[in-house]
Amino acid sequence: MKNLLSRYHPRYVRSLVYMMQASEYHIRDFLRWFWRTRDFLRVEQRKSLVKTPKSLLFLIAGYAVLFFLYVFAFGMLVVAEESWKYPAFLLTAFVAPYLLVDFFIGLMVLSRIVQIPVEYGILVHAKRKLKAHKGFRIAIAGSFGKTSMREILKTVLGAGKRVAAPPGSYNTPLGISSFIRSLGGDEEILVFELGEYYPGDIRRLCKLVAPDIGIITGVNEAHLAKFGSIGETRKTIFELAGYFRDRPLYINGENILARTYARTGDILYSRAGAGEWRVEDAKASLKGTLFMLRNGPQRIQAESHLLGLHQVGPLSVAADIACKLGISTERIGLGIQRTKPFEHRLEPKTDTAGVITLDDSYNGNPDGVRAVLEFLSSLKNVRRWYLTPGLVEMGAKKEEVHMDIGRELARAHIDKVVLIRNSVTPLIEKGLQEENYKGEIMWFDRALDAFAALPNLTVKGDVVVLQNDWPDQYA
Amino acid sequence: MTKKTVAVIFGGRSAEHDVSIITAHIPIIDSLTASGNFDVWPIYITKEGDWYADKVMNDLSFFKQSNYTDVLKGKKKVHLLFDNGLELILPGFPRWASPTGFSRERKVRIDVVFPAMHGTYGEDGSLMGLLRMAQVPFVGCDMAASAVAMDKAFTKQVLLAEGVPVVPFVWFTKSGYEKAQQSFLDKIAKLKYPLFVKPVHLGSSVGMTKVKDKKGLENAIEVAFHYDDKVLVEEGVENLTEVTLPIIGNETVEFAHVERPLNKSEFFDFNDKYLSGGKQGSGMHTQYSEIPATISEVQATQVRELGEKTYRTLGCTGIARVDFLIDNATQKVFVNEVNTLPGSLYVHNWKKKGVSGVELITKLVSLAEERFAAEQGLTHTFSSEILKRVSGSKVQ
Repeated sequence: MKNLLSRYHPRYVRSLVYMMQASEYHIRDFLRWFWRTRDFLRVEQRKSLVKTPKSLLFLIAGYAVLFFLYVFAFGMLVVAEESWKYPAFLLTAFVAPYLLVDFFIGLMVLSRIVQIPVEYGILVHAKRKLKAHKGFRIAIAGSFGKTSMREILKTVLGAGKRVAAPPGSYNTPLGISSFIRSLGGDEEILVFELGEYYPGDIRRLCKLVAPDIGIITGVNEAHLAKFGSIGETRKTIFELAGYFRDRPLYINGENILARTYARTGDILYSRAGAGEWRVEDAKASLKGTLFMLRNGPQRIQAESHLLGLHQVGPLSVAADIACKLGISTERIGLGIQRTKPFEHRLEPKTDTAGVITLDDSYNGNPDGVRAVLEFLSSLKNVRRWYLTPGLVEMGAKKEEVHMDIGRELARAHIDKVVLIRNSVTPLIEKGLQEENYKGEIMWFDRALDAFAALPNLTVKGDVVVLQNDWPDQYA
Repeated sequence: MTKKTVAVIFGGRSAEHDVSIITAHIPIIDSLTASGNFDVWPIYITKEGDWYADKVMNDLSFFKQSNYTDVLKGKKKVHLLFDNGLELILPGFPRWASPTGFSRERKVRIDVVFPAMHGTYGEDGSLMGLLRMAQVPFVGCDMAASAVAMDKAFTKQVLLAEGVPVVPFVWFTKSGYEKAQQSFLDKIAKLKYPLFVKPVHLGSSVGMTKVKDKKGLENAIEVAFHYDDKVLVEEGVENLTEVTLPIIGNETVEFAHVERPLNKSEFFDFNDKYLSGGKQGSGMHTQYSEIPATISEVQATQVRELGEKTYRTLGCTGIARVDFLIDNATQKVFVNEVNTLPGSLYVHNWKKKGVSGVELITKLVSLAEERFAAEQGLTHTFSSEILKRVSGSKVQ
């Protein structure tokens, strides 16, 4: 009853607008959230509505529509004399929140129609500006690891060249265009992350940025709910290969799907090396990753602050590209030394009590989870914690992926597994039980409760991984 | 698993009222909640002595509201029922005012009480006496140990009698001092400056003054009498290392690390303890102390031995913290005072020892139950003929 009544609370309109904004005004994503949500008063948990002209317009229009509907309903009650006015009043009052959703969908469609020519103009302008730009362009596609690859390239190549890359998650045509607009023109290398949300996305972005080198970081179940099948995901990501035709791509050899579809001549990279560079004596600890890169007589003693051996492959790619672009081995070594964990991606933080938290809250894909677990299990003589709400958008693979996580947690002998109650974490528990997990499982209703509890559960030296964080639209 | 109901009592008519709020939340309520094994009822006693119980007070942010006292005034006070145990009575509508004649009054049976009160009317044994009467297990030291430890002068007298080294001291009450001021000043004159003048019943260094010479002495005594009616004047140790040792246990005890406060001001005052440094809001901060203290292993062993002897001499149970003064010149170790409810339970130190907040709190709850169970085995009554033998009119 409380949940039903939340649709009639004044805050309902704001919750809808917030969620439209969080879903980037994608009707399908917004509707998925709407039909899944029960309590519309507990929506803005992690973030809150950002007041932009668009969100304010939706907010004002929403309240106006609701006001009109209720005035209409009461008007009927007062003015009409027929007996049907009572059921008509009740019906209008009851369906008003649902009519509001229909109104918002109409408004989103309308705003999309209005935006099309505007966006087209922005894209044409960006394309023209980029065409005149002399910078060497690198494009990165993949279900996971794109941002890490972008940041590694930016840092390593940055030790010898002027490098620019879009900030944050600017990986859509509009985001990239806005980045292009900000370019000064003197950049020597441009690194682009290509976001894939629907088939054709990568092809469109390739046309926009016209890359000179392409990298595929891997294909997995991320965004599977959007693509429907892993085959569709693979095809979309490999649109990058289509763009390059017979020119080679760097492909993550540690990812089975990407490796399977690599073409002859493509450069497979892994923790064993990339291109002409071979990796020796790789070691990972909480301080970082050490390894030797060897290419004939050339040697680079690589010392990165990035955590985990899975970082060695991307670092080797950066070294190989840097070498091809004429950057000296000394500068490459310096660039690698400058690489450090990125925000919310296996980012270590030590609190005053001496508890080490590895914030991997932006990592929500099965390969990323495997890499983190491999690293966590390599740490000895510490209590290892793993906190997760599970992964989102796994579509039909939901059960398989989460049970696998449970099994891998058990095999990695993680001491404490903290799970957030939702539709997927019982599957992780099932996987843990199947593998006879001997550690402790703790449950929390909300991630925020778990975060608040952790300082009271941990002691000096404990290592806590925060794996993935569900944005409000999935909660 | 059925959750145990734990009442955390905090606040109170004490100069350390606000510190108590911090201790109650960080780490007690937070850890009890984090464990998922307890139903936590916060019982807050206002500075005026009004008792409230409402779960909104489980969140420290409630007390960060500037108008929380006004918010409380709008709530109904909690009633306590001692009925072979403790029950909270949360008043609803009185029966006469309820339209259905149905009272929504609610009773909550408490399994264990977690006193989180510092200073007078809480840490001094008063609350423990009340809880003993109620026959409910409670965390921490019992009434007698709490009462002795609360009085810094009495603690030193007891420890001295048991051969535990303490620095030379003089104590007096307000009325005694008023009657024979010169006599006490003469006694004090035999002590070596600098001196510390302290109200005997207050913790967290409230009302304490360091006196370097005779000039400031009377003023310092006056300040101390502003807070208490009994004052302790003791020798300060020059070239001093101050250390503290948190201890938990009943029959067997466990030690945290020997910790050394890093004094920023002339002595370790209230602000250093609770407000300096730190950004995590942990109440007690690590920046002000060194854990473990860099003292010799011989001294650390001596501290642990004296700590245990002090703990047992005073009859402490559950938890306590013993403070020490180490004279670097003579290498002598003195017991300074005993705190039966260390601020924030010194959880920061226990965490460095490998005991999490949840583990510490859970252990303290089971120690409370263990002591309660042991007490239940004692015989407190016996049949006697005394009433029959007493002279006077007989009951027919």
